[in-house]
Amino acid sequence: MGKQESLENAKIVGSPLVHNVCLFILLFAFWMALVGTLKTKFIVYGLITAGVTVWLCYPLLLVPNKDGSKKYFVFGVPIFKFISYSVWLMWQLVLANIDVLKATTSQNLDIDPKVVRFYFKVDNPMAYVVLANSITLTPGTVTLNVSDDGLFEIHALTVGAAEGVLDGSFQKKVADLYGEAYEFSVVEEEE
Amino acid sequence: MICDFTIREIIAALFVLGGSVFFVGSAIGMLRLPDFYTRIHASGNSETLGCMLSFIGLMIYEGPTITALKMAIVFTIVFLANPIGSHILGKAAYKSGHKVLTAKDLEKEEDEDADIHH
Repeated sequence: MGKQESLENAKIVGSPLVHNVCLFILLFAFWMALVGTLKTKFIVYGLITAGVTVWLCYPLLLVPNKDGSKKYFVFGVPIFKFISYSVWLMWQLVLANIDVLKATTSQNLDIDPKVVRFYFKVDNPMAYVVLANSITLTPGTVTLNVSDDGLFEIHALTVGAAEGVLDGSFQKKVADLYGEAYEFSVVEEEE
Repeated sequence: MICDFTIREIIAALFVLGGSVFFVGSAIGMLRLPDFYTRIHASGNSETLGCMLSFIGLMIYEGPTITALKMAIVFTIVFLANPIGSHILGKAAYKSGHKVLTAKDLEKEEDEDADIHH
């Protein structure tokens, strides 16, 4: 009960009006792309449905942080930073794809599968989501588990893939994307 | 008339061909890799660059129309949804205690195989 109350009092990061307008524009643009014509009827339908969807969904798209003091908007990312991050991620994807393709088609399977672990701590819960999804999207690395205290367990296929995750460039990019301070430490393998 | 293609069609075909190289690589990886976790990586190969190059090829072939925009949307949704699928598969296996093969185990298996054959 106490947690519920504290979540209602949680401070929303950023302005709710800007969030609502951004979500509305996103949904309306998606509607127009699917409709594909500029008839008045469809524009009016689009405005109404986008408005109702924003009204219903906005409270669901606020994620509380760990201690429940702040709420973050899910799409609350600076758009230009996000685009530059996407371009960087695409380039990483190309490199990782070629790496995995070489490893799997080489004569004697040039692989070194293992689980690597690291701690990554930020305040914004969406940063965890973006980091885990980016790592999984990159071939050669799959996020197996993310625990509440920020322990990432990653399965890496090749030596290069494991190094790519552990050298901290991914973590730095994601933290920069959300403009937050972060803690990063590699858990050494015990053997 | 063999050379009755426009430049745009040739570029589109090259992109789709490049994408299919990664699809084939993904299939080869599926067959050759030893255990469950490593096979997830092989599937990731096709769902990222294979999908990306194929869709770029199709978008170039289609030209600047609303269909190309819809293709871009489909491609974005694939990019958002696919890692979630891979992650859930991996997480389910990991939580249920499926053993992670390492390079050491692979060497051991090879030795055992060698003993059987000779």
